[in-house]
Amino acid sequence: MRIRPIARDDLDGLQALAQQTGVGFTSLPDNRDFLAGKIEAAASAFEERTPVDDRLYFFVLEDEASGELAGCCAVVGQVGHDAPFYNYRLGTLAHSSVQLDLHRTIDTLFLSSDHTGDAEVCSLYLRPEYRKDRNGTLLSKARWLFMAQFRDRFPDKVLAEMRGRFDENGISPFWQCLGSHFFPMDFNEADRLTGLGQKSFIGELMPKFPIYTTFLSEEARECIGQVHEHTRPALEMLKKEGLRWEGFIDIFDGGPTVEAYIDDVRAVRTSRLCQVEVVASAESDERPGWLASSTSMLDFRAGWVGRGPSAEDVIVLTEEESRRLGVGAGDSLRLLET
Amino acid sequence: MLVVRPVRPADLPALERLAGSATPRLTNLPAHRDRLEERITRSQRAFGREVDFPGDEHYTFVIEDRERDEVVGTATIRAQAGANEAYYTYRQETLIHASQQLNVRREVQTLSLSHEVSEATLLCALSLDERYKGTSAESLLRRARLMFIAQYPERFAEILAVAFPGFLDAEGESPFWNSVGNHFFARGYQDINHIAGVRSKSFIAEVMPQFPLYLPLLTPQARAAIGREHPAHETPMQEMLAEGFVRSRHVDIFDAGPVIKGERERLETFRRAAWHPVRVRPAASLPDAEPAMIANQKLGEFRCVVARYALSPTGQLMLSPEHAEVLGVEEGRAVLAAPLALPAVDDVYDEGEL
Repeated sequence: MRIRPIARDDLDGLQALAQQTGVGFTSLPDNRDFLAGKIEAAASAFEERTPVDDRLYFFVLEDEASGELAGCCAVVGQVGHDAPFYNYRLGTLAHSSVQLDLHRTIDTLFLSSDHTGDAEVCSLYLRPEYRKDRNGTLLSKARWLFMAQFRDRFPDKVLAEMRGRFDENGISPFWQCLGSHFFPMDFNEADRLTGLGQKSFIGELMPKFPIYTTFLSEEARECIGQVHEHTRPALEMLKKEGLRWEGFIDIFDGGPTVEAYIDDVRAVRTSRLCQVEVVASAESDERPGWLASSTSMLDFRAGWVGRGPSAEDVIVLTEEESRRLGVGAGDSLRLLET
Repeated sequence: MLVVRPVRPADLPALERLAGSATPRLTNLPAHRDRLEERITRSQRAFGREVDFPGDEHYTFVIEDRERDEVVGTATIRAQAGANEAYYTYRQETLIHASQQLNVRREVQTLSLSHEVSEATLLCALSLDERYKGTSAESLLRRARLMFIAQYPERFAEILAVAFPGFLDAEGESPFWNSVGNHFFARGYQDINHIAGVRSKSFIAEVMPQFPLYLPLLTPQARAAIGREHPAHETPMQEMLAEGFVRSRHVDIFDAGPVIKGERERLETFRRAAWHPVRVRPAASLPDAEPAMIANQKLGEFRCVVARYALSPTGQLMLSPEHAEVLGVEEGRAVLAAPLALPAVDDVYDEGEL
């Protein structure tokens, strides 16, 4: 299994993936024209033809034996470039008066575009039959290796938006209590339009003034900063890399936006470049513990390797591994223990 | 005979009684002896002072039943609603959220804290003995203040405002307060109303949420209470609308009671008030005529009564000796008169920026 940039002839494969993701995965709608546009955008990003602040790096996880696409993930170079990127920032306002013997703090949601210009990791999907052999970790972390390798193409900070909490009927209590008053559509429609990148309606319909959370229902307040149960493992993985919730939430479902300075992300900090040596055969760890990625943007590859580098930063690859990663003896390879 | 006059120190027990019996309890008439005493002193100062433009004067009046020798009501004019401190209201606003992309247009109602009413002259703190409700005494007490303002226009603003007590449910609870203020103060409506009366309203307002409130997020009960007067004040409200006041976009910050506003020149009492020289005639010989408010022209000794609007062919106002005595006017002196009856009027809503 390996990660590589999406290619123009991946359209059928990507559409097959899109058909599987279903409702709730809005950045990958089953819409051939839209997907073709996405592939084109990604291709010109990897070819570095689009400006650095307007790039979508879209990757696929490929079963190189069958050529089948097992999943995908993406990095947005900078959010908020063509459409505003909105969040609510959960802030605290003190209401205090000595004469009234009053001291209360009131949680307040402030509409924010503070994250404009930050990078975003997003669009991670793995087909159910491939949810094994640490493929999920590969999809998630390959992006850090890419950012570490091409650090100068990225800004200071990175964020990830996590899906919020929904009730047993698939309804977001946060949306019911807040968004539904302002958006004449249901949650899925609003989310779908956002996924299609048609975000201007958000700015036009959103409440512009801060929202005192005390006016929201208890169920809605309990959604603030909470993730969907299916998203918890992804959140844990990001937290281990050092991403943290700083009080920003999604304006629709209240899910947390986690963030970090890219230089502080564990994978970015601890990955290192090694020299490749290719041998006919080598011992492999029972459980893959080392991620490796190539240093070319156009031909970026990432995958698990069977062993770690030596103290002299030499990484021994089998021929199969070197083919999978598209590297030969003497090439550089970025390694991350994980 | 009923007469409206400036409050005196001896009226303190009556004021205490009236403050305690007001329905509902009024923020600006707290049943608090020290505050009421201050109110009297402050009023005496205002009546005694030379004033060229409205400031922090409060003029408090009482209505006296001469037969019973009893003070049965009180009302106040604040020359400027927010003279020393800001006068806070919530202003109802409509924001339009429209999206071309989705071809939708939504109106969203908000309430924003406002100081806009601060400049207006405020008619407030009216409490009348239950036995006189619905009689001409009520109209006289309410509108004698307009007769006073008509005589001393330099002391008051061009725009007059009245804040009506807001809607309370059968338990005396304010649905609006419960949905808004209570979140920030964790105190009941009656409690906060009392504190506001004894201290001041603006120091509480300073702790109110400063950002606009989105109405869709309030409870339906709270929304229904916005701009709705207390059930006991529906008739007085109609009277003031007939006077020429119009509903404004402003409501009280505690109970969302309506604030009505009127330009002096558009009010019936100002438009129809006229000066007449007095001719004193025995009560029995006075012709029948519609009732009118009659006020003298003495600042500190202001008096206003209801009498027949009986004019001689030469335009003199014919008064009984009793009315002339109460007003402190002799034959030949001028009095201001305005008809008590008001034209019937539909409930008017101010769509403008009055």
